[in-house]
Amino acid sequence: MKTRTLPVTVAAVTSMAVLAACSGGTKAGTESGSGGSKTLTVASVDQGSIEDVVKAFEKANPGVKVRYTTSGADQYQQQIRTQLSSGTAPDVLSVWPGNGNPAATYVLAKPGYLRDLSDRPWAAKLPDAMKSVAQYEGKTYNAVFGQNGIGAVYNEQALKKAGLTAPDTWKDLLAFCKAAKAKGTPAFALGNQDNWVTQLVLYALVATTVYGEDRDFDKKMQAGEVTFAKSSWATALDKYMTMEKTGCFQKNPLGTNYEASQQLAATGKTLGIVQGNWVIALLQQKNPKGTFTLKALPATDDPAQTLVPAAAGAGYGVNAKAKNEELALKFVDFVMSAGGMNTFVKKQGGLPSLSDTGFAADPSLAELSEFIESDRTVPFMDQLWPNPKVQQTMLSGLQEIFSGQSTPAKLLDEMDADYKSGS
Amino acid sequence: MALAPHKRLVDKDRPPVAAPDPRPRPARTAPPWWFALPAMLLFAFVVLVPSVRGVYYAFTDWDGLDPDFSFVGLDNFAAMLDDPDAKQAVWHTLLIAVAITVVQNAVGLLLALGVNSAIKSRNLLRVFLFAPAVITPIVTAYLWRNLLGPDGAVNSLFGAVGLGGWRQDWLGDPELALWSVVGVTVWQYAGYSMVIFLAGLQSVPKEIHEAASMDGAGPVRRFWSVTRPLLAPALTINLMLSIIGGIKLFDQVYALTGGGPGHATDTISTLIYKDAFTLGEFGYSIALAVVLTIIVAVVSAGQYAALSRNERAAS
Repeated sequence: MKTRTLPVTVAAVTSMAVLAACSGGTKAGTESGSGGSKTLTVASVDQGSIEDVVKAFEKANPGVKVRYTTSGADQYQQQIRTQLSSGTAPDVLSVWPGNGNPAATYVLAKPGYLRDLSDRPWAAKLPDAMKSVAQYEGKTYNAVFGQNGIGAVYNEQALKKAGLTAPDTWKDLLAFCKAAKAKGTPAFALGNQDNWVTQLVLYALVATTVYGEDRDFDKKMQAGEVTFAKSSWATALDKYMTMEKTGCFQKNPLGTNYEASQQLAATGKTLGIVQGNWVIALLQQKNPKGTFTLKALPATDDPAQTLVPAAAGAGYGVNAKAKNEELALKFVDFVMSAGGMNTFVKKQGGLPSLSDTGFAADPSLAELSEFIESDRTVPFMDQLWPNPKVQQTMLSGLQEIFSGQSTPAKLLDEMDADYKSGS
Repeated sequence: MALAPHKRLVDKDRPPVAAPDPRPRPARTAPPWWFALPAMLLFAFVVLVPSVRGVYYAFTDWDGLDPDFSFVGLDNFAAMLDDPDAKQAVWHTLLIAVAITVVQNAVGLLLALGVNSAIKSRNLLRVFLFAPAVITPIVTAYLWRNLLGPDGAVNSLFGAVGLGGWRQDWLGDPELALWSVVGVTVWQYAGYSMVIFLAGLQSVPKEIHEAASMDGAGPVRRFWSVTRPLLAPALTINLMLSIIGGIKLFDQVYALTGGGPGHATDTISTLIYKDAFTLGEFGYSIALAVVLTIIVAVVSAGQYAALSRNERAAS
């Protein structure tokens, strides 16, 4: 028996060794293949827009081949963490600004997975609001190419049909909601079944109620001088609930998902939707004849006080252990060039992060660009929170408030507790 | 009792069993153990080793990314006891598992009895009823997510047939959402249970049924005294599969409700996913996974012991 098992074991072990050698061999082949054709690997969340940028980049760099994958945010965050910790991550990767999400700048830069990009020509040109979320400990790690804003996106045809105009004060907003409801078309579609959607109305209100009073609110939070519960966050949350009670939203927002909410706004079953500018392209797909305009959502009775949440969208970082660093840097520089940036944001329906790109904003975003140019914007609140838990607590807590399982006061206390638990 | 004589009659009619061959079996009929070696190696390499190595992380505070982490002993398991989300998830998981096991098998058995009868289009029906089981859960979940929306097909249907009062916010109402998830899962897998029951039903010899009918046993009595005992193995398999599937349920919940509204439909599996990939609490998430594995092992071992005792008693 012994004599027979030995050769078998040897055979098994050798075959595994051979397999291992084979896979090692092919890997080594691509790595050392830097002579003629060059390959850059990219993992991206910019589905539908990176394709054009890659084409343009390959055209500008003959002989270069970009191998890229795209996926949704959820799947991407899971994939990239696994790839980074196992050393199989691509050269260039999508990275969100700030903190608070599993693939955000601080989260990935802290353990040293991202290459310092401070020496790139565009790094110094980023506006301050962008720098704060593209940098970690004073060094730039994220090539943020575009920015987004949250507001009320109106269906112009539906507005006209209802004979109503977009409100610019809190009082008018409530009157608008009542009038819209009376006409049988609720003011705004709300897809709170997808829990990330729950935060958008709140962010739009918080921008004015919290940051209108105090632009340094985040610094005070970090210093432990203020809390969610004892700040105007409570006012904003109260206004969110007032909107719900006034009938600003369609029935059963918790049973309505993001997709269904787009359908309502696109087809004029509601007069609009409170969302980010990215929804405009999606609404247009559902109703190509429609005209959709983003306006600020008022939260006080003085229109001059209104602020808009606007922030850097996901940008690109370079893997600290990139196999092809030189090409990776070339790619992020391309993304941050006027051409690359404009291609991206045009397709995504956003605005470029740098002002000198000669970008002609879509009329639907005219108001958002005005707010950005006059510095009346605040970053998305979660981007400067110390850990992802604060946001997750808020998202599920808002669903619980809408379904009567929790109260605004309880939610703000829980958010404070998570904030204090630190990073 | 009326069956007793026939039971003997049946026994007597069985063909005589061949006497065991007294000669020793030739050695080649028992394949050498190392035939299983490649499979064992592969299993060890792909399943065993990573699983065992993974368990180690349950005792650390690893965030899934930072190579710098420390050993925290049983802290993650202790934290679970203070985590209301975890407690709620365990409760939901058990509730879902029991509900799915009971309803799915009851429906599966009824369907099997239905398509086992001599109705004309039974083959077509079988295919039709089994169809949902071969579709990816994520696809069926997205389909139902739209069907169950406030203006979805289900509510529209109720409205159209004059049952407007039955319209519900199926996925948005925290009291209802869990049962909507159970409903969709049962819808998907009842056909699967049906197929296993059907195989069991078809192994019941017609003659026994005929004999029982001649003795005056009605359909209910025939089912209870003849079919049921012979279905015991099928029942064992079905109950095992559905309870394990129910405890591990992830896809349907995640795609239908994402665990919401709030945490109203979070199961252990969805919590594991959220803790690991949304919150970056890998160590804690793996600790939860270890607990889930233990629950599955204990429940299925207990169930297997009870059912096999039952099977022996029935045969």
